Amino acid sequence: MADERQAPFAPTRKVTVTIDGHTHEFSAGMTILEACQRVGVKVPFFCWHPGLSAPAVCRQCLVEVKGFPKPIPSCYTPVLDKMEVVTNSPKVLDVRRQMLEFTLLNHPIDCPICDKAGECELQKHYFEWDARSARNDGGKVRKAKVVDVGRHIVLDQERCILCSRCVRVCNEVARQPELTMAFRGDRQILTTAPGQRLDNPYSLNTVDVCPVGALTAKDFRFSMRAWELWATPSVCPGCATGCNIEIHAACNVIRRLVPRPNPVVNKHWMCDEGRFTYQRVHQDRLAAPRLAGATATWEAALAQAARVLGEARASSPSTLGVALSAQATNEDLFAFMRLVSEPLRADRLYLTGEAEGWCDDILVSADKNPNTTGAKLIGGPTLRTAAELKRDMEGGALTTLLVVGGAGVTGPFDKLSSLLVVTSHQGPLCAAAQVALPLAMWAEVDGTFFNRQGKLQRVRPAITPAGLSRPGWQIAVGLGRGLGATLAYADAKQVFAAACEKVTLMSGAEWGKPEMPVQLRFANSRG
Amino acid sequence: MAKIILDRLSEHFVAGEILETGSQHGNEWARVEPTHWRAVARFLRDDPVTALDMFIDLTCVDRLGRVPRFDVVLHLYSVGKKHRVRLLAGVPEESPAIESLVELWPGANWFEREAFDLYGVRFVDHPDLRRILMYPEFVGHPLRKDFPKEGRQPLLRRLPGSVD
Amino acid sequence: MDEPSPPPTSRRVVLGLGEAAHFVEDEMPTEAMPLNMGPSHPAMHGTVRMVLEVEGEKIRSADVQVGYLHRGFEKEAEHATWTQIFPYTDRLNYVSPMLCNVGYALAVEQLLDIDGKIPERAQFIRVIVGEISRITDHLTCLAASAMELGAFTVFFYLIKAREWLWELLEEVSGARLTHSYVRIGGVAADLSEDFCPKLREVLRRVRGAIGDADKLLTSNRIFRDRMDGIAVITRDEAIAWGLTGPVGRSAGLAYDVRKDHPYLVYDRFDFEVPVGSKGDNFDRFAVRLEEMRQSMRILEQAMDRLPAGPILIDDARVALPPKREVYNTIESMIAHFKLIMDGIVVPPGEIYSFTEGGNGELGFYIVSDGTGRPWKCRVRPPCFANTAVLNKLLPGLFVADIIPTFGMINMIGGECDR
Repeated sequence: MADERQAPFAPTRKVTVTIDGHTHEFSAGMTILEACQRVGVKVPFFCWHPGLSAPAVCRQCLVEVKGFPKPIPSCYTPVLDKMEVVTNSPKVLDVRRQMLEFTLLNHPIDCPICDKAGECELQKHYFEWDARSARNDGGKVRKAKVVDVGRHIVLDQERCILCSRCVRVCNEVARQPELTMAFRGDRQILTTAPGQRLDNPYSLNTVDVCPVGALTAKDFRFSMRAWELWATPSVCPGCATGCNIEIHAACNVIRRLVPRPNPVVNKHWMCDEGRFTYQRVHQDRLAAPRLAGATATWEAALAQAARVLGEARASSPSTLGVALSAQATNEDLFAFMRLVSEPLRADRLYLTGEAEGWCDDILVSADKNPNTTGAKLIGGPTLRTAAELKRDMEGGALTTLLVVGGAGVTGPFDKLSSLLVVTSHQGPLCAAAQVALPLAMWAEVDGTFFNRQGKLQRVRPAITPAGLSRPGWQIAVGLGRGLGATLAYADAKQVFAAACEKVTLMSGAEWGKPEMPVQLRFANSRG
Repeated sequence: MAKIILDRLSEHFVAGEILETGSQHGNEWARVEPTHWRAVARFLRDDPVTALDMFIDLTCVDRLGRVPRFDVVLHLYSVGKKHRVRLLAGVPEESPAIESLVELWPGANWFEREAFDLYGVRFVDHPDLRRILMYPEFVGHPLRKDFPKEGRQPLLRRLPGSVD
Repeated sequence: MDEPSPPPTSRRVVLGLGEAAHFVEDEMPTEAMPLNMGPSHPAMHGTVRMVLEVEGEKIRSADVQVGYLHRGFEKEAEHATWTQIFPYTDRLNYVSPMLCNVGYALAVEQLLDIDGKIPERAQFIRVIVGEISRITDHLTCLAASAMELGAFTVFFYLIKAREWLWELLEEVSGARLTHSYVRIGGVAADLSEDFCPKLREVLRRVRGAIGDADKLLTSNRIFRDRMDGIAVITRDEAIAWGLTGPVGRSAGLAYDVRKDHPYLVYDRFDFEVPVGSKGDNFDRFAVRLEEMRQSMRILEQAMDRLPAGPILIDDARVALPPKREVYNTIESMIAHFKLIMDGIVVPPGEIYSFTEGGNGELGFYIVSDGTGRPWKCRVRPPCFANTAVLNKLLPGLFVADIIPTFGMINMIGGECDR
């Protein structure tokens, strides 16, 4: 965004510009398009993007400036002092129509089968600025329709309007120049560079920025129409970067994740790996509490778990261990820590999580857990590592273990007399447990994460919890009741408020205003 | 079209009573401070220049997100002068209430009952403020924006002694 | 003539109304009895419940309870695009649905500022189908009321006439009642080829049917006795209660939107608006009868002057482009797509637009927030106000008077309850 280009404390020169008869003051260095956006004047564009360089190829943003002989591209031209810009004269409106006519000239009539329909910028701009009938009699240039350009992406060359946003994403964001334009004129196509495939770890961002349905994700193609989707703002749980995302769900199933702009955390992008974290939410979920391998009710399971923990605390408190997860929200961690400190008074506290993975200097962190910072903050200085947990389990130092989350906890469990697990998925951990309580996941709960920069970010529920699963803090409240402790929390916001009081680095943080999921339709479509 | 009505209003009332006036698509409208609702309506009915003697419509608009949340909207017409006006009054969400106009126009009776039924706005001094379109056991006020379009409602009250 | 009061134990033959009242009050102790009429009752057409307190045959108090046909028109409209609301408007006043369609379309067109650009042929067609709908509305009202008073023959004559008209509307729109014929910017399809000759022939026959009904009822002793002087509404009451349409005009209130605030092309036609003088049931009957004749005058004139031309505005932001273009050009495909999926983008604003519906001033108060759906789409139902006055009219009448009174108010459940 324009702000990023200004050095934070450098004195900026101001220029006075008149746009459509109204005079404003802007900082020098801004483009005319950005200036118009600042003051709410609508100028259409295809190839400009706030996070990319401006090549001025689409010519849709042409405006008239007094003193210039031809209309000039506003996305590229910086504001100059005493400039007089006109964006709504009949000539400018006519130029916009002409540019749209050129763009539409060879565009295939694919709307009924195109994924982008409903969030397509071409549709939106035509409807707003053109709305004229076609003048050509239908003969269009034919190009390749279903080109497999990469692991995740399909290209339709006919739909491409040659804006080159995807080329710039690969060049500037992913820094792997895999896409290029070839040929000229009305034969120009988007294609991969010789010998290359569109395989960089940020390739799906090209699908986001593509204004039309030329680049489509194999994962999302034909799965759901854009206007049926409900968007919920949240944070990606794939790694400690915590890219801001929107969860797009329909019929209580998540269909895709797309990035939300945040200039400090992820600018406008997210990595491909993060985009696929939604798939785990719908796979192999533990739907109901399990007691000794059989499905049980919440009351029975909670009662049994509380009994086991109570006995362990009474008889052998030094062999009672609690494993917290760096995948859990701050609210879950805080509620369980209240249990750990009083009544359990356990001093064998472990922090587990997903193993480290690859990283780069663009967005991806090696730490594949969204809340390591939060877990360390709330867990306190006595937290032991996952390696120590494994050693203690092997050595028999632990007889009773309460696992919250369960990521990265693989055993061996044979020396444990009681294994109580609060987890979201079925698997070996769940099978080995005496009591397994289903945990709701990040996309189903209200909560907060600390990212690697120490920013506190909010997740919101996009779907209802799978089966009978409950948020972690609510399970802690249930266990507490059985252990004689009163954790009086009715919703996540109360847990957050309590955490803000106790945890120094959280004091003064805000929960954020309530946001209902927004349907990507009518005024809220992305295109 | 009916600027004379707005002029008379601004002559006769002060700025704190008539908050805003305007004209859009040929409709003249005036925003009234809710405590002066009946007074302004009475003036418009009795004043010989405006002579807005016919009650046309009374309804409510839920402008969710704005404070005050509800707008009570009144449409009046003058049979003699053939002009009309729209009056709006903002009513807050916490205790939505406004003066009833039934003593000025008996025709307002059912319209105010409907606004109460569907939006929950109470009309003070209304002789018979009860639901009109919904059945008495209905819970909630359906035209509010936060009332879901689909849902279930409690069924009718069972008669005493009947087996449930 | 003075008569000695009878001894308490003797019985008298009762002649005339006045004597009966005297007799009842002197002789027989009475107490009020609650009587429930409806909502499931042959005479409460449109489902209305009247909770009456009767003393003998006289009504002491009445509580007219509506809402049995409430289907949530406004709530549905808030979740539908502007064009998707047309089928809902059909089901408002379902005996004159074209008038509701037209009223709603005019309101949205005014918000879009295209009300001056509707093609002329479309405006004439709207007037034609609207007036046919008005005739069917009055035919239904008079037929049903006549039947309830025992005049079955009149019912059959008028319903047959209504069928001829509905056949024509079915040719034009595809349905007898749920037309959804009008669109924002014009009408959905053109009139059929031989529509005008057929309509002229139908009008000739309808005139005959109305004439027969007139001869059978207007000078009929029984009919007049049951209708004259019953449920009188004064002109001042009509104004205070907001009564418009035939009910208001029968009371002497000479207000007809077509004459006083002409819309579409009504100002080009020569027609009269019948106004009653007594405001009783018979006046309401006579006003409706005469209104049908005047509607037929308008129809003849409209057919004579019907111009050729397009029937839908040529604006891809408002009206769907022709199918041939939609399938063969990307521009029209996009326009079709956006219009259907997102709806017409109506600029933010509010409007109260009013037309003459079958029962009176049919108003649409529409609030737009700038998207493809309305923020609020309120119908000002004329028969809601007309039915409200029953609470005042019924006390003092006999139970038997409810039938013609309710019939002549012409409460259409779909419009009153929405």
